[in-house]
Amino acid sequence: MLLLKSIVLQWLYVGLMAPFLCGVIIKTKALVVGRVGPPLFQPFYDLLKLTRKQNVYSQTTTFIFRCAPVVVLSSLLILSLFIPLISQPAPIRFAGDILMFVYLLGIGRFFLIASSFDTGFSFAGMGASREAFFSCFTEVAFFMNLIILALLAQSISLSQMIGASTPLSWPLFGPALILVVSSLFLILLAENGRIPVDDPATHLELTMIHEVMILDYSGRDLAAMLYGAMLKFLIFAGILVPLLVPVRLGQAFPDLLVFTAGLIAIAVLVGIIESIMARLRLNRVRHLLLAAFALAFFGFIVTLWSRL
Amino acid sequence: MMTTWINASCILVVFLALSILASYRMAGMIHLFAAQSLVVGLVPLFLRQFSLSQNDLMIVAITIVSKSFITPNILFWAIRHVPTRAEVKPLIGIGASLLVSALLIAVAFWVAASLQLPGLSKSNLVLPCSLAAVLLGFMLLVTRTRAISQVVGYLVMENGIFLFALSLFDAMPILIEMGILLDVFVAVFIMAIVVNHINEEFSRQPMTLVRSKMGENT
Repeated sequence: MLLLKSIVLQWLYVGLMAPFLCGVIIKTKALVVGRVGPPLFQPFYDLLKLTRKQNVYSQTTTFIFRCAPVVVLSSLLILSLFIPLISQPAPIRFAGDILMFVYLLGIGRFFLIASSFDTGFSFAGMGASREAFFSCFTEVAFFMNLIILALLAQSISLSQMIGASTPLSWPLFGPALILVVSSLFLILLAENGRIPVDDPATHLELTMIHEVMILDYSGRDLAAMLYGAMLKFLIFAGILVPLLVPVRLGQAFPDLLVFTAGLIAIAVLVGIIESIMARLRLNRVRHLLLAAFALAFFGFIVTLWSRL
Repeated sequence: MMTTWINASCILVVFLALSILASYRMAGMIHLFAAQSLVVGLVPLFLRQFSLSQNDLMIVAITIVSKSFITPNILFWAIRHVPTRAEVKPLIGIGASLLVSALLIAVAFWVAASLQLPGLSKSNLVLPCSLAAVLLGFMLLVTRTRAISQVVGYLVMENGIFLFALSLFDAMPILIEMGILLDVFVAVFIMAIVVNHINEEFSRQPMTLVRSKMGENT
């Protein structure tokens, strides 16, 4: 019963926070260039509008196309339970849950890619191949960071790795954690198709990655896909914030406030980066991701060194 | 407390060396180098825990001014006066050089672990990070084809050596330090002039080639 309660609370928080963060990014981008921008809750209205519309399916698509939104959204919803957001240990936690975490991400990505091939739309195939290519790099870098965090926390459970002991490891392992945080931030930008990697605001077919894969979706399915993308941003930011803000007050509510402030700060930072940077040329994106890996590897060496 | 700052700045030096390796614009490389020199120049402050003699303070000031203001400005002057392309041209791709540099960092730490050096080091990350910076600078020097980026590689290497010297000597011999700084300054100056002269000497060459090809076409 307690577990059920914490799961429901977590989903409530995540479900409301994910579109809100998206709204924060859009608002920041608008404010930086001097526009008023849509209201902060615009993503909610957009999602509601989409759920009221009917799904339109192309005749070439098969059942893969129809089940992909369900798989993507549900895998991300399960993922969100692994992150210690509301309750300090996450609702779902066990030794080795980081592997489960990464592979659940993989399942969502697999179905996203498969569904975009299913449409037979050549641009979607291009986007899918890019997604697969870049995720090869991000997964390696992500695993490297997880290894560092596991070494620091002496645990292979995500709730421990980014949980209550992080404030203690900052004074000891600060240098390694700086590298982990910067590497994870690059991974966050890449995984969510944010600006140095992909521009979420454009629908220019030759350059987009994530947007082109969901181009054939409409109605409720599109809402599920968009909601999944927002959740993914929240999940990655949710890994980054506990590392970046090493403050644990010990009580649930103040901690949650600090955490929410951290999430909003990350969203604002991403919005600012999107306003001041241009997208990288496509063949240079892998350099960014390799840099993320090199940073993580460097962090790994520093961790080993400081444990000598 | 100070150890944290020293460690953080050592990490930052290698981090910036990595980003210099990953950057594909000359101007970006020079900006990053200036930032790296600033960090390296600040390390003595942390090593002495802000209780500096006048000599130390002078060294810090001269290092920072010469390395992160004068030298980058000379390099900027050089790329302004040489109509070369703004992008670097590595012999091995940026992705590959990033992977190799990750390996080089590992090598630096491995060497530092087995190196028994006299003298007191206040932080255990100074030695490996300085070796890593030297190796990364050397990597930059070897794998880049354009003269300016090679100069930046040389300077990154010099920053590594500076950090290495800091880890070895408690009291920095001011004369040696000034000598090194002067050497570097003169070297950069000469290289800038050489780059300029190379450009003047060979500026007509590609144009003639272009003309002859145009003649063939018409």
